[in-house]
Amino acid sequence: MDEIALIHSAQHGDLDAFNSLVLTYQGSLFNTALRILNDEELAADVTQDAFLSAFRSLNTFRGGSFKAWLMRTVTNACYDELRRKKRRPTTPLEPEAGDGDEMDTPRWMADPALTPEGQAEADELEHAIQHCLDNLPLEFRTVVVMADIQGLDYSEVAVATHTPLGTIKSRLARARLRLRECLQGFRELLPTAFRLLEEPTR
Amino acid sequence: MNFRDVELLSAYLDGQLSPSDSLQLESRLGSEPQLQAAMDELRTARGLLRQLPQRRVPRNFTVTPKMTGLKAPIPRVYPSLRLATVLAALLFMITFAVNGFAPLAASRLAAAPAPAYGIGGGGGCSNCGPSESVPAATQAPVQPFSALAPTEAMPATQDNSRNLGTPTPEPAPKAAAPSLANNQQVPISKGTPIPFIWQMSIGLLALICGGAAWFLRQRNEREFRKRWNKK
Repeated sequence: MDEIALIHSAQHGDLDAFNSLVLTYQGSLFNTALRILNDEELAADVTQDAFLSAFRSLNTFRGGSFKAWLMRTVTNACYDELRRKKRRPTTPLEPEAGDGDEMDTPRWMADPALTPEGQAEADELEHAIQHCLDNLPLEFRTVVVMADIQGLDYSEVAVATHTPLGTIKSRLARARLRLRECLQGFRELLPTAFRLLEEPTR
Repeated sequence: MNFRDVELLSAYLDGQLSPSDSLQLESRLGSEPQLQAAMDELRTARGLLRQLPQRRVPRNFTVTPKMTGLKAPIPRVYPSLRLATVLAALLFMITFAVNGFAPLAASRLAAAPAPAYGIGGGGGCSNCGPSESVPAATQAPVQPFSALAPTEAMPATQDNSRNLGTPTPEPAPKAAAPSLANNQQVPISKGTPIPFIWQMSIGLLALICGGAAWFLRQRNEREFRKRWNKK
């Protein structure tokens, strides 16, 4: 069954059809929420809420990119969560080292395919990028996560964020500039290819 | 280089510039090393983001009927059956009401005209005093509706009124006896307007329709639960 047929069935209350769509897009939605919130548990909860909300408001989908429409629900759920967090700040449950500091490379994020050294480097780079993402204003972060991490095109990002195309272009350019400035602080972590790329410019 | 240039470079990297704008920018890139350096920086940032690993989802985010509050589909005939049940039950109650109130209504009708027959049109009879026509009227409420027909009631009361004037009381019991006998001959059970068999049929119809609706609904819900428990 193709996507349009699945959406049509789901709009008529077919939960099986909707769940087929969930399985297709859950990775994108979860990773978007994860990069915006930087909290795996929260991202999972938000993704579940977003799918539930999407099912309930499926009749408002009027065609176009279904992925962008889903992204919009997850973005709204993330914004709600961040607003809620701002109102009621909580203590993070991340694992702590013996001295009470949070561990830089939590064990739960480990990729078994990498060597311990490679894993450590990848984790550090990922944390550096995530740190830079976290420092971006929310609307910049959302746009850059959707366009550069999830690979949505400009029009899809515009639909997902309910923002004009011109604003998307501008926000993306600003976000990339700020990220570039931030990542300069982590030069030693950048892969060789990226270091070589930047050598001639200096 | 201004921010407009950065915007152009960013859009150029994503292939979002028109062909003419792209050509113009490419010619500038060849002649302006600063612009080229800025583009390389933007490309680096974009490349780093694109190579971020996609995390595996910690669980499936499929939605269950419990989450959505979704209920088992209602069988197609269910609304018709439910309506039939309600109507039949209503009709059943109406039949009971009609049969129950009929004798009461009859007795009220009987209570009103009875004195008029005996006294001869005197509603305002102030000096009537206790007479034998009064017992005739008080007997009326127990009479069934069919016994109130003037053809049958009149002779009895006329006989009574005539007997009042006669000096010898002997004929009175004789005259009253046939009227009482006439009244007792009317069967009370024949007075129910809706036959018992009809009542029972309507009641049975309500039960069958209600039972069928309940059974179909339960079966659908069982199948629905079984289907989702399997998953």
